Amino acid sequence: MSPRAILARAAPVLACLGLLAVWQIASLALNNDSFPTAIEAIRAIPSILGDKEALINIAASLRRMAIGFGLAVAMSIPLGLMMGRSRTVASFFNPLLMVIYPVPKAALMPIIMLWLGVGDIAKTLVIFLGVSLPVIYHSFEGAKAVEEKMLWSGAAMGLSAPRRLIRIVLPAALPEILTGCRTGLVLALITMITSEMIARQSGAGNILFNALDMGQYDTVFAMIIIVGAMGIGLDALFERMRARLVKWSEPQFDIPLSFS
Amino acid sequence: MTVSPSRSSVQAGPAPEKKPASAMIEIDHVSQVFQTSGRQNHLALSDISLTVEDGAFVSILGPSGCGKSTLLYIVGGFVNPTEGAARMKGGAITGPGPDRGPVFQEFALFPWKSVLGNVMYGPRQQGVRPADAEAQSRALIEMVGLKGFEDFYPKELSGGMKQRVALARTLAYHPAVLLMDEPFGALDAHTRTRLQNDLLNIWERDRKTVLFVTHSVEEAVFLSDKVVMMTRSPGRIRQIVDIDLPRPRRRTELLLDPRYQKYLVDIERMFDDSDETELRP
Repeated sequence: MSPRAILARAAPVLACLGLLAVWQIASLALNNDSFPTAIEAIRAIPSILGDKEALINIAASLRRMAIGFGLAVAMSIPLGLMMGRSRTVASFFNPLLMVIYPVPKAALMPIIMLWLGVGDIAKTLVIFLGVSLPVIYHSFEGAKAVEEKMLWSGAAMGLSAPRRLIRIVLPAALPEILTGCRTGLVLALITMITSEMIARQSGAGNILFNALDMGQYDTVFAMIIIVGAMGIGLDALFERMRARLVKWSEPQFDIPLSFS
Repeated sequence: MTVSPSRSSVQAGPAPEKKPASAMIEIDHVSQVFQTSGRQNHLALSDISLTVEDGAFVSILGPSGCGKSTLLYIVGGFVNPTEGAARMKGGAITGPGPDRGPVFQEFALFPWKSVLGNVMYGPRQQGVRPADAEAQSRALIEMVGLKGFEDFYPKELSGGMKQRVALARTLAYHPAVLLMDEPFGALDAHTRTRLQNDLLNIWERDRKTVLFVTHSVEEAVFLSDKVVMMTRSPGRIRQIVDIDLPRPRRRTELLLDPRYQKYLVDIERMFDDSDETELRP
């Protein structure tokens, strides 16, 4: 490998190290109790990951996130595709979605808590809402952009309209759909934490904000690192799957957008 | 105005009273109106009647915007005519079907499928067993000159190769009629010539009925038994010219053939005449 290629591969790691270095220097310079150094925060990570209680909390968060994300994707893709291919369906759902889209989903949390309590259902529902909109939107755009002649070719082969939706519109729109899912995955993580911030009962967000209340700032920052690492890990995993599924599609970027 | 190509220049007009037994496609007083944004109705096709016989290679020739592609889409069942009807082997055309195989200028390949996957798509859809579909498809891919590219994705192919795949994909489900919508219009001159030659070679093996839309006079005369000339806005049939040139046709021979040259000149002149009449109020 040429030095250039090595540098390109190492760039994400170097970026992270750089960020930690800036943090370390800034923290030392500010010398503020509520802003621990990067090294102090990293030192607090093993004690969180070694604590059974904390691990149960994080696992509960991830379970809610997986269920919310999975349900949202399963419902949003068919809806988005139908909107993209049917003017009637689109003109019915579009105004509804445009009203809901800009509302921060976590802002609905207090109301949802009134209806459904502070348990898993309320939090999963908020994650579901957060993930749904980008996935619907991108599926909709992807389905709209499918070449008419491609559908005609399928129709000439004898594919009925519902089969064309599954066998042609879905694969043709898949790159766009997966872009939506990737955005959805990040939003799932964000809404997961914010929902736990509002409905404190369990979860990764609960650990973070409890530590904040108790002034354990190294734990707070350690949790931020853990959540960030979860984000990077999930995104890298998703990006690998995406690249496999749409390797047939045009390359959009030469530089990798994640750690995959 | 004279029509020199000696044999039977059929005049466009009312549908023939007696339908020949071998009629594959009948277009019967078809008109097409499109609603444009300005709430004005645009008459794209006006009272078109045309019969395409079984095994004939018929070109629809006209300037862009004359509705020639729309006419092809009506035969394909992709567009419903505002008035009139199209029939296939005597049965009314109500929608697309595997008896009419389209080949589009835009190729319209399935980008997520390999070359082989694209060609196998139609036969698989019709319930041909995977092994048989694959064997047939491989043979077709070889016939269109793409042996060795079976596992390539469309994005990895040039325009000419894509159109070869599209042709093989359509031939794979054995349509009775090929509907070709300016299939070589997006290709460079060299590739276009090669594909025309290859199309003729393939066609001369089984003489499928072909309806071929083009705006190139040379292409229409070189390929066709019959050239349907259309006028612009509204699209009408101006003249039908029988191309009486021997087959199999070889380009190098035809280019020196005075009969071929005469067809080209006559058709060009007819279009020039109609352009002038259009200019007159």
